[in-house]
Amino acid sequence: MRQTGAYSGILSRKTGPHSLPLARIKKIMKKSSDDVKMISGEAPIVFSKACELFIEELTKRAWIIMTNNNMHEKRRSTLQKDDVASAIIATDVFDFLVNLVSSTHDNNCELNDEESHQDIMEDIQNS
Amino acid sequence: MADGQGSSRSPASPNGGGSHESGGDQSPRSNVREQDRFLPIANISRIMKKALPANGKIAKDAKETVQECVSEFISFITSEASDKCQREKRKTINGDDLLWAMATLGFEDYIEPLKVYLARYREMEGDTKGTSKAADGSTKRDGMQPGPNSQLAHQGSYSQGMNYGNSQGQHMMVPMQGTE
Repeated sequence: MRQTGAYSGILSRKTGPHSLPLARIKKIMKKSSDDVKMISGEAPIVFSKACELFIEELTKRAWIIMTNNNMHEKRRSTLQKDDVASAIIATDVFDFLVNLVSSTHDNNCELNDEESHQDIMEDIQNS
Repeated sequence: MADGQGSSRSPASPNGGGSHESGGDQSPRSNVREQDRFLPIANISRIMKKALPANGKIAKDAKETVQECVSEFISFITSEASDKCQREKRKTINGDDLLWAMATLGFEDYIEPLKVYLARYREMEGDTKGTSKAADGSTKRDGMQPGPNSQLAHQGSYSQGMNYGNSQGQHMMVPMQGTE
């Protein structure tokens, strides 16, 4: 709330302790609904940390799913989109994201065998 | 509020500084819509890496998916908080509304770390703003209105009906004195 005017100069200092740009967070907040008119100065700060927690949780869950799916396959240590999608499908609080990933990602959870097969094929193609 | 900035994105701007001003993310694609909708992928990537073991790598499509998810997360929480504000006939979404929305939508695990983060932030703000005031605070207070009492009243309304507002309320006293 206190920072006004051009944020390019302030950005580095203002974003310093926060790992995500507050102005961008605010823009996304405003876009979420026409009813969002005013946002307190603290709200983007709350989100900067909340998004960090959210990203960490999603990433960790995706990583666990990936390593579980690839126990026997040591070569893969790269997190893929499908792992993120699987984590979303497997986690209740991420239900609101299911539509976002389901268009390109179908029934991955149930098809673990096939997934690891795909991964092998990808690895072969990549090498 | 740094809002006016966002709307001034006419492509006809003659000095090509348009893309430069909108942040430190060095995305080669100067796609303004993308910039409005998502947080910078470099920041997302950094946070993701922090969550993985040192040997962990992340594919580009995984980063992009998480990037989309984060925007969705912000909208999801904001909408819920906004509904609450409408029901209570308030115009401004504040930090506590967001905490409430997160708790309601299943992210209650985030509340505790967020409270700590907010408290630390408020202390920091208080420190940088009030270093000189802290030194001669006692003399200044004489000349001012009876601050602490009015602030207590303010806290009361702030954390009303919400038990997780309490610990924040105490920390609020520091920056409040500095700013007013």
